[in-house]
Amino acid sequence: MTAEQEQKVSRRSLLKRVAGLVAGALLNQRLAAAATDEDKTGSRGKDPLMVRVTRPFDAETPVREFASFLTPNDRFFVRSHFGPPAPEQVSEANWQLHLGGLVERALTLRLQDLRRMEAVTITAVLQCSGNGRAFHRPKTPGVQWERGAVGNAQWTGVRLRDVLAQAGVRPEARHVQFQGADRPVVSSVPLFTRSIPLEKALHPDTILAYGMNGRPLPLLHGAPLRVITPGWMAESCTKWVTEITVQAEESKGYYMQTAYRVPTSPVELGSSVMVPVEAMVVKSLIAGPTEGEIVKAGPISIHGVAWSNGAKISAVEVSTDDGKSWATARLAGEDHPYAWRQWQHVWTARNPGTFAILCRATDVHGVTQPATSPWNPGGFLWNGYDRVAVAVRR
Amino acid sequence: MVTVVGLAIIVAAQEEDAPVVAALAPRAETLLVARCTVCHSEDLITQQRLPRPRWKATVEKMKQWGAEISQDEADLLVRYLSARFHPGAPDRLASLGHQVGAEELLKEESRPDGPVVGLATRGAGVFQHNCQACHGAGAGGGIGPKLAKSPILKHEDAFWETVLHGRGSMPAWGTVLSHQDIADIHAWLLTR
Repeated sequence: MTAEQEQKVSRRSLLKRVAGLVAGALLNQRLAAAATDEDKTGSRGKDPLMVRVTRPFDAETPVREFASFLTPNDRFFVRSHFGPPAPEQVSEANWQLHLGGLVERALTLRLQDLRRMEAVTITAVLQCSGNGRAFHRPKTPGVQWERGAVGNAQWTGVRLRDVLAQAGVRPEARHVQFQGADRPVVSSVPLFTRSIPLEKALHPDTILAYGMNGRPLPLLHGAPLRVITPGWMAESCTKWVTEITVQAEESKGYYMQTAYRVPTSPVELGSSVMVPVEAMVVKSLIAGPTEGEIVKAGPISIHGVAWSNGAKISAVEVSTDDGKSWATARLAGEDHPYAWRQWQHVWTARNPGTFAILCRATDVHGVTQPATSPWNPGGFLWNGYDRVAVAVRR
Repeated sequence: MVTVVGLAIIVAAQEEDAPVVAALAPRAETLLVARCTVCHSEDLITQQRLPRPRWKATVEKMKQWGAEISQDEADLLVRYLSARFHPGAPDRLASLGHQVGAEELLKEESRPDGPVVGLATRGAGVFQHNCQACHGAGAGGGIGPKLAKSPILKHEDAFWETVLHGRGSMPAWGTVLSHQDIADIHAWLLTR
């Protein structure tokens, strides 16, 4: 398939997927937006992203965007510790992937080598571990993300295990380390070096992605190659990958041994065993109505998304009376193992006033989103009930 | 400068530890621009609401990672940050004082009264300490543009304005570097 055909196909599938919940004018508007979706930033609409940190650039997606099944590339949240490397460093001409460590043969691969391998596409939620950090009490240090450091995209690339098989993994291997091309301003700052257990690395759904929503992976999202560990939080999804090292131990250094860790039980700092953040936790968000929206009394569409660690979502419930009673929402749209599931509930608002709408999801293992997440010193894994306040008018 | 200090006091008066903030603000905010925004913009700092022990841990971590601050400066920053950006502080605070009144500064104070003669030999050190992290060793470029042989060196007005008031992701250095410092950096850059 030529790049152009690929693009057309992907646009068509994007159009199809976007058509889920929202009817009428809004849908048409989104279809038009999706049809012209490109990697440009900020060219369409207003406030495509909410900037949390100017430099290095960290920004979250306004939750109203989550009315779409797929989050467009230019509206997808952005997070890195040092910002992207210089574009020429990761250009197709210059970029190389080195694979070494506990392997039979060290390899150096170029993008064209990866493109010749079997391509796989996986639709998966990508979420920053700190998404919702701003809601933890007491407050914790770090980027004060609210609700939008998450998105759902189609990732295209090669299975990590196919690449590892070319090099031959030695029996003593237990972890696979990723190093990206991004560098801190000051060389005394530790590099963002991360590893995942070999079992996750060899999972057939763990991929090295060069495509995002049918387009080449944009620079801000890790061009030309990033790791995607479906069902796991985004710190395992190293961007701008240039080195893969198979090893016996977890990565050393700050970003694996100190940061991105949570206590095994919800207690105060330092008094518990800390383990790496890995899988996502069950969570749902309300994409509409939006916070502070004024709605007319009568039937009101409450809709959003829900996901877990790869386990299917079995139910989403909505409350419009501060949690006294819950109604079951209708699950809708596409159903993929690692993608989020869209849901909708029609609420008939009879009386004017101010209402808090709450939602909570439950996955097939019976795990339900809690009212408030257990506190942890890093402010990770927030998954408390989502909440939106609306004013109902006659 | 009067505008800047005056505003910092008004802002501080609305906060719990107003006298502490007011007293520490000029030096602390200068340090924040000079030493912290080398690696990250100040919005990352001002969105935090942390108790003193966590500010202390954060500042110590940054010092360990290479932030060029003495122990005295680290202590000052911890006092200022925990007085201003404490857990009870309102969500929205006015931006740091040094951002205020840039236009006035530009008009009234941006250029020295008389010509300042830059010393290239001194400029090398000032550059290394303040600019190199972004503009690279020998001004050869890094996350900031290459300055060696840059056309901006020939447009002194643009050079001074950029250094004093910042541009794009470059922070303003007007409260950090003296006019002599800037002239020295300029003189040294011309030799590159």
